[in-house]
Amino acid sequence: MSDELKLIDAAKGGSVEAFTELIQRYRERLFRFLMTRCGSYADAEDALQDTFINAYRYIATYNPQWRFSTWLYRIAIRNAARLRPANIAELGELRDEESDPLTYCISQSERDNLWRSAKRLLSDEVFAAMWLRYVEDMSVKDIAAVLERSSSWTKVNLLRGRRALEAELNNEAHKTGSESYG
Amino acid sequence: MDKLATRLREDAADIDAQVSAELDHRIRVSLHNVSPERPKAVPRSSRPFSLWWASSLTGAAVALVVIALLNLDRTGPVSEPVAVNAVQQIVIPDLNLNVEAAMLTSPLAEELANLQADFRRAEMAVREDVEIDF
Repeated sequence: MSDELKLIDAAKGGSVEAFTELIQRYRERLFRFLMTRCGSYADAEDALQDTFINAYRYIATYNPQWRFSTWLYRIAIRNAARLRPANIAELGELRDEESDPLTYCISQSERDNLWRSAKRLLSDEVFAAMWLRYVEDMSVKDIAAVLERSSSWTKVNLLRGRRALEAELNNEAHKTGSESYG
Repeated sequence: MDKLATRLREDAADIDAQVSAELDHRIRVSLHNVSPERPKAVPRSSRPFSLWWASSLTGAAVALVVIALLNLDRTGPVSEPVAVNAVQQIVIPDLNLNVEAAMLTSPLAEELANLQADFRRAEMAVREDVEIDF
């Protein structure tokens, strides 16, 4: 039995310590993802906290045939979605780019962060599919399970997302080229 | 790994996602206030398994008896099928065609005279065209 499964079993038995140790491996990764999904830094923090609380509460329902990260991401996406509509209605048009947590959390560099472009260009679900594929290295089957979609939907939308970002990357390269040549 | 995949991975790593000590503390405290829910056990039927077998067998036996009884009633002589003519004769009712002439009012009588005149003219025209004697 792997170390992770041992911790999961201990958590199922009610060990908070085992669960805390288990989530140490995932908290930064999940928080990074939630920052791309939530409207503000505070929302991302709340979503992370809710994700771990729900995961601990319902850990008995975890099926080891799936990766633990797949299960956690599924909970995280639901929590982020629950926080999102209320905030949008509350803030209305006051919401602007400055409230985007990515604005604060992306280190300043010469080039624009492609995930910001992805957030602008792609729908939430396609964005999530791209993230899970390229950052989390998840299989199509796992992504489909996280997003509660079919494998074919996942494949098609990964391709669409990829095309959109490749076009963006090419535009960026053209801009850089034309700037450097005056 | 292709250019896009590399770039996406690098850019994701550029997002600073340090969980603050305060958030970490909040999560730990919340977890201590929660306990894992036990999976709800599927309620087991209070009836013993043998009861299902007994009821199934009884049902099957009753069905067989009913089928046998229904078939026993049909053991009598089978009547010959009645021959039916493919083309049935058409019975024409005997109509009494000797009807009395209606009493026509003046405009209707005039209309009838006109119609009869029209009919005669039409008859003459047909005779001339076809040269057939009716």
